[in-house]
Amino acid sequence: MSHGLEIFDEHGHLVFSTLDITWMQIDQFDVAANASASHDYPEVAGMTIITQLQMVNAPPASQEAYAPEVIVSGTTVSVAPYTSKTSERVIIMVLAQD
Amino acid sequence: MSYGFSAINTSGQVIISDEMENLHFYGKATLSGNDGGDYEDFPGYSGANDTLDGRIIFTYSIVLEPPTGGGGIFVPASPLVFIKPTDYTRWHALLTQSVAADGKTWTFDVITSGLSQSNPPELFCFVNANSTSGATSDHGLIVWKADGYTRTFDSRYRPLAVTAGGSIAPATCPSDDGCPGVSTGHPWNYATLDHDFRSSSQYNSQATNGATYTNLMFSAPSLAQAVYKRQVEGYKYSSSSWGGGQSHWSTAIWWVMYRNTFRIRNGYFDAGWTDYAAGYSFSSNHEGGGWFGGGGGGYSSGTMPYSAKVINQGSNAFMIADSTGFD
Repeated sequence: MSHGLEIFDEHGHLVFSTLDITWMQIDQFDVAANASASHDYPEVAGMTIITQLQMVNAPPASQEAYAPEVIVSGTTVSVAPYTSKTSERVIIMVLAQD
Repeated sequence: MSYGFSAINTSGQVIISDEMENLHFYGKATLSGNDGGDYEDFPGYSGANDTLDGRIIFTYSIVLEPPTGGGGIFVPASPLVFIKPTDYTRWHALLTQSVAADGKTWTFDVITSGLSQSNPPELFCFVNANSTSGATSDHGLIVWKADGYTRTFDSRYRPLAVTAGGSIAPATCPSDDGCPGVSTGHPWNYATLDHDFRSSSQYNSQATNGATYTNLMFSAPSLAQAVYKRQVEGYKYSSSSWGGGQSHWSTAIWWVMYRNTFRIRNGYFDAGWTDYAAGYSFSSNHEGGGWFGGGGGGYSSGTMPYSAKVINQGSNAFMIADSTGFD
């Protein structure tokens, strides 16, 4: 390419350039079972935020393994059990793209 | 920003910044075993529609060692896991992710459709720059946050570039034959399954772009779960020549628990289902009186974890990346 940024590793292999697309990790946090959490990320105002929920434990043998509800509003990510439901322990990955 | 560093790609997106952290390749998780596979059919039942897709659960681990020297503060991080199928006809998903008490040994359970212990998928683990360690190269690009000790980008560890991403949810009903239910009016002791519980044709798709699909890997944790059952109830009334009679009842239940799984194929990323557990039960009884005293019997293999429904159906974020160069 005639302009932009290219980054090479010590073997001369191109590892990253301004032709690439990525999602940046803004945060990751653990939410205990039946717990709530809320985090604000003003540094990514105007960017698209997505979240990945990862279950920590195998589903119980005799009841539902509900995931908590995750709401992204502006730059705030809120996590809480659904109304009248329990929720499993999860890891939340918060990612942003310009 | 009035100072610092940022790189903008050809789409006008920030891809390197001193305010946000890039994900970097840490290494592949090590396969440590599997559960032997199960549920290629209903345990304890032999008859029509007995066949299920089956599944096997592979277990992997990786140790995230804190960096030594070079300044900075190590913050233990959860790796972001990409699954690269070895057999692209199979469905896969990350079921669980947990860390040991040492805070650095991570274990992952991955479900794969079918029973074969061959061709387990590979797990590529990515962490933020400040959780990387071990590089000895003395050249490249490192970007630091304003605190002066948190790395946001470190070219000594291959940064993550994606080819696609978004949100996706599986099809509403996991079973190829539609969602089963309960029916009555069958003959007493009727126990023939009239429903196909396999799920390989129930999925939603999103288009992927460009790269040779057999190089692609995906990050998409399994969230949606479902339990469905087919229940048939039988009855007969037997009369005696002396008058009076007996009622006879029977119930046969087949149930399957499904987990959301994913597949990469040529041009598409699919969100579907794979059976996780299954069971069969049968009971038969008759009331007292008539020629026979009351009584009955039955059989059961496993218990439905909960009443028939789909849970966690909402979309979960996914990313697709080219695995080439991440070794």
